[in-house]
Amino acid sequence: MVIIGVAEYPVRRNPQILIGAAVTIVIIIVAWYGVVTWWKPRFVIYTYSSFMEWGDDGAEVVLERAFASFEEKYGIDIDFVILEGDANFIVSRLNAEAANPIADVVIGIDNILILQETARNVLEPYTSSNLGQINETLVNLLDPDHYLTPFDYGLVTLIYSMNTINTTTHPQLANLTFADLASTELSSALVTEDPHLSSPGLSFLLSQIAVYDKILHEDWTAWWNTVKNDVDVEEGWTEAWSAWSSDPTKHLLVSYGTDPAYSAHYLGTAPDTAIAPFYYNGDHWAWMQVEGMGLVKNGPNPQLGKAFIDYCLNASVQQEIALNQWMFPVRSDLTLPSVFQYAIHPDEISLLNTLLNSTEIASNLQNWLMQYDTVMTPG
Amino acid sequence: MAGYNKVNIIAQATPLIILGTFLIYPVIRVTVLGLLSETGMPFAESIAYNWSYIEFTILQAVLSTILALIIGLPGAILLARLKFSGKNLVRALIIIPFVLPPIVVVVGFLQMFGQYGIVDSALMWILQSSDSVLNLATDIPGIILAHTFYNAPLVILLVSASMERINPEIEEAADLLGADAKQRFRRITLPHIMPSLIASAILTFLFCFMSFPIVLAFGHGSYRTIEVQIWNAFRWADYGQASSLVIVQILFTLTLALTYVRLGRNEGERSSPTSSIKTTTLRSYKSSEIFLIILYFILMLFLVAGPIASIIRAAFFDPISKMYTLDGFLYLFNTDAGGGFRPLVNSLFYSGLATLLSVGLGIPLAYAHRSKTQILPSLASMMVLLPLGVSSITIAYGLMTAIAVPTGLNINPWPIIVLAQTIIGLPFTTRSIEISLRSIDSHLIDQSDSLGASSLQRLFFVELPLLAPGILVGAVFAFAMAIGEMSATLFIALPQNFTLAVAIYDNLGVRKFVEAGASALILVIVCVMAFLAMDKVSEGSVGGAL
Repeated sequence: MVIIGVAEYPVRRNPQILIGAAVTIVIIIVAWYGVVTWWKPRFVIYTYSSFMEWGDDGAEVVLERAFASFEEKYGIDIDFVILEGDANFIVSRLNAEAANPIADVVIGIDNILILQETARNVLEPYTSSNLGQINETLVNLLDPDHYLTPFDYGLVTLIYSMNTINTTTHPQLANLTFADLASTELSSALVTEDPHLSSPGLSFLLSQIAVYDKILHEDWTAWWNTVKNDVDVEEGWTEAWSAWSSDPTKHLLVSYGTDPAYSAHYLGTAPDTAIAPFYYNGDHWAWMQVEGMGLVKNGPNPQLGKAFIDYCLNASVQQEIALNQWMFPVRSDLTLPSVFQYAIHPDEISLLNTLLNSTEIASNLQNWLMQYDTVMTPG
Repeated sequence: MAGYNKVNIIAQATPLIILGTFLIYPVIRVTVLGLLSETGMPFAESIAYNWSYIEFTILQAVLSTILALIIGLPGAILLARLKFSGKNLVRALIIIPFVLPPIVVVVGFLQMFGQYGIVDSALMWILQSSDSVLNLATDIPGIILAHTFYNAPLVILLVSASMERINPEIEEAADLLGADAKQRFRRITLPHIMPSLIASAILTFLFCFMSFPIVLAFGHGSYRTIEVQIWNAFRWADYGQASSLVIVQILFTLTLALTYVRLGRNEGERSSPTSSIKTTTLRSYKSSEIFLIILYFILMLFLVAGPIASIIRAAFFDPISKMYTLDGFLYLFNTDAGGGFRPLVNSLFYSGLATLLSVGLGIPLAYAHRSKTQILPSLASMMVLLPLGVSSITIAYGLMTAIAVPTGLNINPWPIIVLAQTIIGLPFTTRSIEISLRSIDSHLIDQSDSLGASSLQRLFFVELPLLAPGILVGAVFAFAMAIGEMSATLFIALPQNFTLAVAIYDNLGVRKFVEAGASALILVIVCVMAFLAMDKVSEGSVGGAL
């Protein structure tokens, strides 16, 4: 009878063993993941997603090649942390981390973003000892207060693929005005970037404001009102580039004056990408973007950060910029690759930046962006 | 016995302390600091500037709710009234949309209703047009249709459950007294299902009000809700504006959430589970009615099953090259930096941990709901409701500044992502556990006590097995919410922490459609499998958790 009783009512063991085993397994898995992803203290650089990414070798190889001797000299590993999105997000991230920063240097804040209080709040001015190797106008155009040191520069302008439209089918492309661009045909073929989130997008907005406010003396919002239902505003440059290159209805893109050089490099022939700078008063105009490096305020390794900024002005880094970043290196003593003959150079063009001085931008930027939002919000 | 109670209270208070540290403190801190920081807009200016976005948030939520009710109500009536085989299967399948991540639904909608999608291609073929004819997966139609996709099934479930409890005798009495079908509906059915209609309307409105990935993807930055504006404000480092919007959002959502919970309580007290509605077979309907029923069924297939099924096409068909390809799956096995393998592993790992944490927190929280102490039940239900009413972006930003930055975790933020995913799924987990806790027979507990079981034995061999279905339902909801969570993860993650949901958004942005499609398909398969496993064990008691 006793035996049957046991079979009917099996004695439950104390559950401690079972719980213990389950907890152990979970702990082992979590610990394993933690160890695999463990972050060893390194030297952190914040940058954006397309940094040095557009060459033959890819960012990883290029950065290794350019910075190996720096890492060796200081016995450290450089961690290039790519923050999703454009430079604006980097600024907000640095603000969030201001109490305990982990990055020492940030690359990619440009001559417009640095005018904002929020960007200056998180940076420490630094005058690099290698600054003599850079043209002084670049330094002043970017930031005379040295919160940023120039890294590279380029011209923000419209580009188009010559296979789909060209100056034969659309003669206005040779001397393009915003009024031409406002036609439904061209505006619905235009891709640009959100000026809140993307630095070329903001450069384009300021280009348009400069032309309307300073050359035409008209209300700049009128142009956006005309095109708002047709133009494709993408989140960032990478998204805009994909839309332009894969959507057969999109012909024009707000991008860089070096893109024809990129096209020539990959085709091995003459480029099939051309640029269409704006044309007013007998001149072609474009916006000059200077991208800077800044020392993060209260970063963990300030001395290393300064050395890094100095090092970035060396030829070993600067010579990689042309074919991987598709911008101009800030050092003028380097020979540019031959495909750069197809790029538009700053001395061939009038700079829209000269029409809007930095004080004016700094005091109006938030207002302009709000007005832009008001126009672009449907309904 | 006193000592046991002390242990009990500590066990129930622990999750409250954890939530206080990782939810209440970060959210309050980020909101208050934002208002005091004087960077960005002050409160009044923020409201004025965002007025049109606030209006749009309400407008799209109202439209989505109306459409969900219109589409859901006939389904609810049919599901309650109609007798057919496979009814339980249909009831189970209807919950599937709810476990699908929003960004996955975006992929399905683009493929089904978008430019050169299935509907568009069919129309192009019919009209012999070479250009796209109809694109519904964009702007307001896209947002509202996707919200209806999610919420019409919710209406069906909640309303049909309530309708099934109509006492047939009342209807028979009405029949005898000469009421026709219209009168019967207005005087009996409608008043009976009204609380559940209002409850499902409030829930639908709440979900649409807080919706983020769908609005972000279909709104193209021009149509923005409060949630999207909070995300933008944080990205522009405009903390004043972000905090102001967070406060507006919380005021709205908490009012709605409290109304919902109050309704739920009343409903729970009044319902009589014994009575069940008189059902009829399809044959007893007139042929015109049968035609309408079939039409409705086709509409539901189109709207709800269509997008899910077309994710399969999205995984193979590249709309740019217009060719079928396996690139999407190659991407998932690509272990390089930009490949999909890492996001896949991250997704499974983070959501697995978040599920364990959710259950670990959800069980004591559910017990705290019935605690005899004064403060625990209300504190617990407030804590659990909060994630429903606070934007995920705010939770993420709060966790970043209050937890990650001081601890240095922001350079390797995966624990923060797990925490955020846990918190966001917790309301659903806790509620399903709480529901099954309510149905435990207290005599069983007393018996195990008098038979001399230790408290640990009682918990593990008596209470937890009885709770198992509820825990499992809660676990699957936690898992589905965590693996589909995009907003907070997108905000916190560095590229090495990307989950599949974030990778889908990222790939859609750069028009890598098959990569997005294949990742979405994996998420669908994982979520549906988890759901089926749960449905098998819990025997169809899933809907109650909503």
